[in-house]
Amino acid sequence: MLEAIDLSKSYNGSTALDSLNLKIEPGEIFCLLGANGAGKTTTINLFLNFIEPSSGTVRINGLDVTREPLATKKFLAYIPEQVNLYRNLTGVENLEYFTALAGGKYSRTELMGFLGEAGLPEGAAERRVGEYSKGMRQKVGIAIAIAKRAQALLLDEPTSGLDPKAANEFSELLLKMRDGGGAILMATHDLFRAKETGTRVGIMKRGCLMAVLNTDEIGHADLERIYLDHMHD
Amino acid sequence: MLAPILRNEWRLLRADRTLHLVAALLAILVAYGVYNGSAWVRFQSNALDSAAGEEAGRLAAMKTAIADVEAGRSNPPAFADPRSPSAAGRSLGTRWASMPPTPLAALAIGQSDLYPYYFRVSTQSRLSFAQNDEIEHPVHLLSGRFDLAFVVLFLYPLVILGLSYNMISAEKESGTLAVTLSQPIALRTLAFGKILTRFLLVALLGVALPAAGVLLSGADLSAEGAGMRLLLWIAVVVAYGAFWFAVAALVNAAGASSPANAIALAGLWLLFVVLTPAIVNGGAKLLHPVPSRVEMIQAMRDAGRQAAAQRSELLAAYLEDHPEFTVSRDGAMADFATIGIVTAQATERAMQPVLERFEKQLDAQQALVDRYRFLSPAILAQAALNDIAGTGVHRYRHFQQLADAFHERWRQYFIPRVMKREVLAPPDVDQFPAWTFEEESLAAVLSRTAASLAGLIVLSVLCFAGAAVALNRYRVAG
Repeated sequence: MLEAIDLSKSYNGSTALDSLNLKIEPGEIFCLLGANGAGKTTTINLFLNFIEPSSGTVRINGLDVTREPLATKKFLAYIPEQVNLYRNLTGVENLEYFTALAGGKYSRTELMGFLGEAGLPEGAAERRVGEYSKGMRQKVGIAIAIAKRAQALLLDEPTSGLDPKAANEFSELLLKMRDGGGAILMATHDLFRAKETGTRVGIMKRGCLMAVLNTDEIGHADLERIYLDHMHD
Repeated sequence: MLAPILRNEWRLLRADRTLHLVAALLAILVAYGVYNGSAWVRFQSNALDSAAGEEAGRLAAMKTAIADVEAGRSNPPAFADPRSPSAAGRSLGTRWASMPPTPLAALAIGQSDLYPYYFRVSTQSRLSFAQNDEIEHPVHLLSGRFDLAFVVLFLYPLVILGLSYNMISAEKESGTLAVTLSQPIALRTLAFGKILTRFLLVALLGVALPAAGVLLSGADLSAEGAGMRLLLWIAVVVAYGAFWFAVAALVNAAGASSPANAIALAGLWLLFVVLTPAIVNGGAKLLHPVPSRVEMIQAMRDAGRQAAAQRSELLAAYLEDHPEFTVSRDGAMADFATIGIVTAQATERAMQPVLERFEKQLDAQQALVDRYRFLSPAILAQAALNDIAGTGVHRYRHFQQLADAFHERWRQYFIPRVMKREVLAPPDVDQFPAWTFEEESLAAVLSRTAASLAGLIVLSVLCFAGAAVALNRYRVAG
């Protein structure tokens, strides 16, 4: 579903991403680990076509992202660290807009249903997003993904800054989406969550993918040790 | 795909209180501008009414006076004899040449407070020149009156820029742009939707403003050409608005921050609305200076003095040219009238080169402004708005030509009668040449406005095209 082939990106000579090869199948959660500046966000931005690759190919559902930027986004949902919505509009108005951009037409009841499914507290949907917590805004982001029936999810440090309960709820939602056949790419600093929810983890450093591990083959302690090994030069 | 963007933008604008505030403020300014314009038009109409009343009263009194002299009820001195064509043509029977305001005059005061809109036409030399000050050009509205045209030229762009200076940059800064563009929608489409929403809103204002203005001013829309003028006015306002949106789109597409956009757009506003018109105006005066009024009056006096000194030679020469007027010399007063006319004509001949230079320089100034108006959409729009409201320089020129022709007709009528020493009877008063104002042809207004409109549209299209290209390279992230 999500595929990067020899993908590189450099800015004015400095390499942000170096020959990344990555394939994420439906029903998989791939967690990208790495220090700040390792190339995690660059990878996600390349999938979103927010930046153009210097070389290599990015594919979503077999379609080249740079050639078909709009078609590929039909399959895609994106949840950044901060899901920034229109503060002056309500949660349901935001959801209505973003799903309408993806071509979805839903009744108000259906929209409320998506927000409920994403775990937004009852009554919050009609309030202005300006009053929402970060977790609540992320739930609207998830609702957008649900309403869009996104087959691929791009998450950029979604759980950083969430309290443990909210982070746990978020992981539950991810697992649900994975079970629904979603291919999920998540950049994160949270080794524990990566091990818990991820199918595979990849460790990145200075634009290179150093190692890929299956989470069911390693323990928490192993993951942390391997990660730290890579971080030391 | 545009429908959800339009709906969302409308929701966002409505949720933002600035829009309400700006709309309310604009409504007040429009009302004030139209009030000023209407007051000025009312003043003009009153002046024209009293001129017409004065003329009718004077001519009626003249008839009575002639009848009185004929019946021997009064015996005025020769110079005030109402039966003399000289007195009639010089003062007693004179007509007012006037230009009435158009139905839309209240919308743009334009040059109407600089140009005379009525002259007294007599056998004396053409007053039109002496009354005519220098042309004051577009910028002078800056210090000029506050009318609807001022609101449109100066404040309307500010409303547009206020609504759109950060239409894309703010989304980038608040992070909503990334969420939006993760949906299957191109940045260009988004930008187009944003501009379209604002454009529709502002175009609605562009239609509502003049419509409200016309209603408030109590203009007669059934008058000939009024509907056409109103449509042209709306077209110019909408095209001028489109230009400012295009500029805002271009600046947004360049990808700088919202404060940088605000500063850039304020600078462009200053450049196009204030500086360029001032430079074009200043350049016109510098390159084609008009002889000073003092110099002209001095020349006129000198010519008058010289003619007076040579009046016997002038009279002799004139009678040599016009032997048909050589009649028996039966009254010193009649000779006085003849000499008056002859010296006036001599003065005028002497003045001709000075006046021609004056006219030529004014024409050159106007031609320069006409040529360089394409440098600034504000000059284009202003020229067009004044033209449409009938307060621009072209309609005044047209009026002046009509008045000059009438003046010529007036003299052709009276001078032979003075020379032949005819005696007027009451029915003759009704035969004096009468003034009628022939409205400038709408086709001329239309063709001049079309050029300005085309200029505005070309400038807008260029900016929009530039914006479309720049948006392709817009950096959403990284």
